[in-house]
Amino acid sequence: MAAVCTVYTVQSLNSTPTKTHLGFHQKQVVFYSTGKRISSSRRCSNITCSAADGTKTVVIGLAADSGCGKSTFMRRLTSVFGGAAEPPKGGNPDSNTLISDTTTVICLDDYHSLDRTGRKQKGVTALDPRANDFDLMYEQVKAIKDGVAVEKPIYNHVTGLLDPPELIKPPKILVIEGLHPMYDERVRDLLDFSIYLDISNEVKFAWKIQRDMAERGHSLESIKASIEARKPDFDAYIDPQKQYADAVIEVLPTQLIPGDNEGKVLRVRLIMKEGVKYFSPVYLFDEGSTISWIPCGRKLTCSYPGIKFFYGPDAYFSHEVSVLEMDGQFDRLDELIYVESHLSNISTKFYGEVTQQMLKHNDFPGSNNGTGLFQTIVGLKIRDLYEQIISSRVGAPLEATKA
Amino acid sequence: MHAIYRKGVKESESATMATIAGVNLSTPRVLAKASDSPKAQIIKSPWLNHPWKKSNQFGAGRMYVRPVAAAPEGLSEKVAESVKKAEETCSGDAVSGECVAAWDEVEELSAAASHARDKKKESDPLETYCKDNPETDECRTYDN
Repeated sequence: MAAVCTVYTVQSLNSTPTKTHLGFHQKQVVFYSTGKRISSSRRCSNITCSAADGTKTVVIGLAADSGCGKSTFMRRLTSVFGGAAEPPKGGNPDSNTLISDTTTVICLDDYHSLDRTGRKQKGVTALDPRANDFDLMYEQVKAIKDGVAVEKPIYNHVTGLLDPPELIKPPKILVIEGLHPMYDERVRDLLDFSIYLDISNEVKFAWKIQRDMAERGHSLESIKASIEARKPDFDAYIDPQKQYADAVIEVLPTQLIPGDNEGKVLRVRLIMKEGVKYFSPVYLFDEGSTISWIPCGRKLTCSYPGIKFFYGPDAYFSHEVSVLEMDGQFDRLDELIYVESHLSNISTKFYGEVTQQMLKHNDFPGSNNGTGLFQTIVGLKIRDLYEQIISSRVGAPLEATKA
Repeated sequence: MHAIYRKGVKESESATMATIAGVNLSTPRVLAKASDSPKAQIIKSPWLNHPWKKSNQFGAGRMYVRPVAAAPEGLSEKVAESVKKAEETCSGDAVSGECVAAWDEVEELSAAASHARDKKKESDPLETYCKDNPETDECRTYDN
């Protein structure tokens, strides 16, 4: 026990005492203590400071195509934990990292082993494992999880180059977001919870058109060609990760409007693995039963195309899962509240918390459909998971001393 | 002015850590850049402390000074160039690694351009300044 105490004080001399306002100090330290930090963390690792005092970081993995860090899901997630996530102050302005009081979001593009020119020379995409340094990824995520700060490289999406590293201090919750959080088995084992965002081809196409048609360089053909060219690598390396995810958010075209291809109304499925520690799936009416539900009717009037829910057990890649599905759009606040009041196991701290979170970010894309709803719910489940992990760790050392 | 200075001093006193005192005693260069130093120092623009923000602050109309902080115009051109290059590369061999890598680059740049557009849409000079300096007179909010 004494050894652990010593180690802890060594760290706290140079780093933030975890009791005080972590967020505030983090911003300062990131800037000035770079030089000192490396040596202290090396010293620390020699003494093997395992954080037996229960301050081990909780690591969440999020797999999604496209860029990192500033995406809607991340902002919703960090908002649930409280506080807005910002890029590190005083650092590289093109950093992909987001830091809030409790959470740090790392973009896995920072672990590219080849920069844009290197990939062009070798003829590989960023999706290809050969363009990523999984050893470094594993090393650094493991270090952060064990409470050791790391100097993480920065991949600059604007220039396509690898910039000098930035300091990442262990937060309470670390989110690693990118193309390959679950690709490497060692990294996968470090994750306390993992999510895969599965966008169907039609929806992806519709979204990319909306995103890129504003660019003068793009045309419908170029957007299509870009998606098709990346598809083989995507199917080979990224897509298989969904079998390892604890939760998959699948986004499909709606079934309520026949022949719709605008991708505005969406059918979103939240596929939740059964038997995951600290994670109890959200359900409608009763766990394990199957139910189809249209909330619109006498109590609630909805406008076209309305809302349709489904819940039921299923099998996904030979795992037992529960699927909660929403098709359609929310039009009004009372629809949202009505739906929320009928969902169970959503891990809210007060009635209406989901609605409140959705309203807080009603300018975000997906705020009126299942994507926003399920992202918010997943955020609440992660908060619940985090609190369970922390309370279980606090409990364990107490028992050890009693014994 | 006095009120601001007093508030600033109180802040540094109430901040529990010895490390804050450590910062004050160490290099003044660090102190000037630390965003939590007494507010009395901040009289003029914050851009002097963060020179790279200048080119973004004044909008994309000006020629960007450093290639790292690329204005959206620069990015848009990059996207257009990369699309052309990808089409050229792929006209030869549509399944080669080079062709695929070229379209991947297009995707990466398009994503970066769209992020930049979003950022530009929401960047209000006052909001950006107030994010870093919420205690200054212009940025104080009265919620009660």
